[in-house]
Amino acid sequence: MNIKEYIASGIIESYVLGLATDQDRAEFEQLAAQYPEIADARTRFELELEKQVFASAVNPPDDVKEKILNTIGETGTSVNLPSTVSIEHDITPSRNQGWLRFAAAASLILFIVSGYFAYKFYNQNKELTTKNIELEKERDSVANIASEQQKIMNDPNVMVVNMVGTEKAPKSSANIYWDSTSRNVWLVVKNMPKLASDKQYQLWALIDGKPVDLGLFDPPDNKVILKMNNTQKADAFAITIETRGNTGGPTLEELQSMGKARLQ
Amino acid sequence: MLQQRSDTAFSYLYDNYSGALNGIINQIVPESETANDVLQEVFVNIWRKIESYDPTKGRLFTWMLNIARNASIDKIRSRSYRNNLKNQTLADNVNDPLNLQVIKPVYDNIGLRKIVSQLKEEQRILIELSYFQGYTHEEIAKVMSIPLGTVKTRIRSALIQLRTML
Repeated sequence: MNIKEYIASGIIESYVLGLATDQDRAEFEQLAAQYPEIADARTRFELELEKQVFASAVNPPDDVKEKILNTIGETGTSVNLPSTVSIEHDITPSRNQGWLRFAAAASLILFIVSGYFAYKFYNQNKELTTKNIELEKERDSVANIASEQQKIMNDPNVMVVNMVGTEKAPKSSANIYWDSTSRNVWLVVKNMPKLASDKQYQLWALIDGKPVDLGLFDPPDNKVILKMNNTQKADAFAITIETRGNTGGPTLEELQSMGKARLQ
Repeated sequence: MLQQRSDTAFSYLYDNYSGALNGIINQIVPESETANDVLQEVFVNIWRKIESYDPTKGRLFTWMLNIARNASIDKIRSRSYRNNLKNQTLADNVNDPLNLQVIKPVYDNIGLRKIVSQLKEEQRILIELSYFQGYTHEEIAKVMSIPLGTVKTRIRSALIQLRTML
């Protein structure tokens, strides 16, 4: 497949604007996960579109915000922001009532911060310039957590590997982020159910046909990005279910998902 | 770990994005009161569905923009909205099997819609129908009596052209 031709075909614009057919959309998502150039091209267009849409912003009447708040019924309750969790320490996040909603709100803040980069372009609009300043303050206050996650996900050196479910566990899914320079490996769980207390998931790198342990983990409660062991090489990644604290090799009958690492 | 109020998260979202989303809603739903209703619906949906936003698939704003566009289209296609229109001024076009009204919009002087109106007619119609009125490729092919493949190719060319004008 010719990546350059694909990128120039209009599929990017079509996908971002929500005009692609279901089939084209699925294909695009798969290819964008595989090829960073395609994901980058997508981001470039998204930013151009964002700039244009912001340029024709129309402020709504003041009472609209209040009405929305009444509908969603939010009150000022504390929420804990997620942090990157090192698997050796296995920190269990404290639970608040309604944590799921608040954790979502917290991760929302992290991704709003990525909106900061869109604002760099909006010079002529004074209102947006003011918001830029507010954004920077917000960003600095959550800097440690946000910048780390964003750095990982937006870094061009970082390869995304889509872990796809096996016959045994067709819906199991996760993403691996592998930094080709530092060789760091991170894991984001997408769909992996909790296990019985005597079991744990284990991540493996397959190198020259041999499995190498990259760490045991439990699926986190909120959207943390897990740091796994580094690996210099990997032909593929695999996740299995093992007994808690497994020191042996992988139980291949319990293979949950696999993903091929793109060749460097 | 930092503590953050969840209503601050909402405020942040609303304060920074409501204008932009409202802009696109107003380009699709011309009546400002109805547009405000749509904006409310949109933010409630965004807040409730935030967990389904997948950052590996694109930026947060793109996800929100598509929610806003879809909600606007649903509104203008809704029976109550159409009934209101009929009661006011517009007559049905009898040559129009899908009751599809490709009227030249009076609100095409702002934003994305303004840029689209500068495309050559053949391309303008396709983007108008697909983006601003939510017609599928199949529906467009049927109404315009052109092959489905042609609809898709022309839309792609139109978008490529549109991008140079952004």
